[in-house]
Amino acid sequence: MIYIILAVLIILVFWVISVYNYFVSTKTRVDASIQEIGNQLKRQSELIPNLEASAKGYLSHEKGIFEELTSARKAISSAVESGSLEKMADAGKMLSEVLPKIQVVVESNPEIKGNEVVKNLMDELRDTSDKVMYARRLLIDLTADYNVKMVSFPSNVIAGIFHFGKLKGLETPVDGDELKVKSDEMKTPKVNL
Amino acid sequence: MRNIYEVQKSNKLKSAVIVALFVVFVALATYVLTKALGVYVGYEPSELGFVGVALILSGFSSFIGYYFSDQIILGISGARPADKKRDFTFYTVAENISIGAGIPIPKLYVIADSAPNAFATGRDPEHAAICVTVGLLEKLDRTELEGVIAHEMSHIRNYDTRLMSVVSVMVGLIALLGDWLLRATWFGGRKSDNDKGGAGSIFLVLGIVFAILSPIIGQLIQLAISRRREFTADAGSVSLTRQPSGLISALTKISLDKEALEVANKATAHLYICSPFKNKKGEVSWFANLFNTHPPISDRINVLKEMT
Repeated sequence: MIYIILAVLIILVFWVISVYNYFVSTKTRVDASIQEIGNQLKRQSELIPNLEASAKGYLSHEKGIFEELTSARKAISSAVESGSLEKMADAGKMLSEVLPKIQVVVESNPEIKGNEVVKNLMDELRDTSDKVMYARRLLIDLTADYNVKMVSFPSNVIAGIFHFGKLKGLETPVDGDELKVKSDEMKTPKVNL
Repeated sequence: MRNIYEVQKSNKLKSAVIVALFVVFVALATYVLTKALGVYVGYEPSELGFVGVALILSGFSSFIGYYFSDQIILGISGARPADKKRDFTFYTVAENISIGAGIPIPKLYVIADSAPNAFATGRDPEHAAICVTVGLLEKLDRTELEGVIAHEMSHIRNYDTRLMSVVSVMVGLIALLGDWLLRATWFGGRKSDNDKGGAGSIFLVLGIVFAILSPIIGQLIQLAISRRREFTADAGSVSLTRQPSGLISALTKISLDKEALEVANKATAHLYICSPFKNKKGEVSWFANLFNTHPPISDRINVLKEMT
């Protein structure tokens, strides 16, 4: 009898340890994924000057795009320095709005399209925005997992004992124009690759 | 219509049920076989006697395969390491998916084979490798490739190589024990002086039945586990990319391709994203399906479509 109680106790202790470790390690991984988002954004902003340098000759009449690029780059570096997730998200959004515009120009201009350097840079930029996207996905997945564990029984008991709080994850706006879907946005977009 | 979380949950449950079934079966088969061997050889085995020897023999070969799986398979397949300049899409897609999965970037290799296929191997995420064929890189676009790589990355994240190695050790163990028993009966062996009328003869009869049937049953369960892990990796791929359409069209392209993979053999078949052996007919009867490492593509696509 005493052995059964002992065995149950040991299992219980191991379970508590594993749940505790889950919460602690997920918190660390969430921090790391936020850093990863920053890193990738920074990498993207560092690619921009290269793109400017090699494409400027072709795009002298597209001054507006370069101004947008420059301001996006500045926003990113200051956001990454501040380490605030909301600022990073905003800066990333600025850049992701400019990129399609360049894409359009590059696509419509056979002269630049043929330029190997510009093409590589565009590939790199596209890839880096994918990386930002996946880093955000990881952050979202981790926080969702964590928050589910935090409220579901029995792991919520452990979360309560050790005061593990809810993780914010990516803050999304609760209201505002971003959440409204216009009718033309519902149509399937045409994408040329 | 099920969402991705429901699919993943049901996969986890079904996987656990099959593995539990497998464990019970292995325990039962080893028990009966050792008892029968004991009757034959003429001494009451200290239970673990035969199992120990068989486990060591069966475990040894599988352990080597498990521990050095990446080197061995890459040696067989004649792969070259992927290079960021040369294989930009493959390299960056793999980087991205591993960021999303939160695991280190696996070693990446390209096999010079024009049949489109891919596989993952390695005992844990730190020692994993993903291999794709040149044909795959040529025939798939970026979104489709993301689906395939995410499928392989899910195999890595779920420790599927580890699971399948343990399972094959167990199947090997049963096969060895059964083989010993059949040999013992065939050559007459040493007859024991034990009481033949009682439990001894029952175990002997049962043992022979088990010796004949259990290697097959064991392999069937092993294949069932393998098929379940494919469904799980498909769902894992969708949870990483959130684009079932990419994997759907990749699977369609791969399955419609006429070429057979030259470097594949039966030992490595379960690792690939689609079975490297093409079957002539599209539809597979449930009986033929029992012997496949992979579920039929149409079933996999149906499940993926539920998630869109």
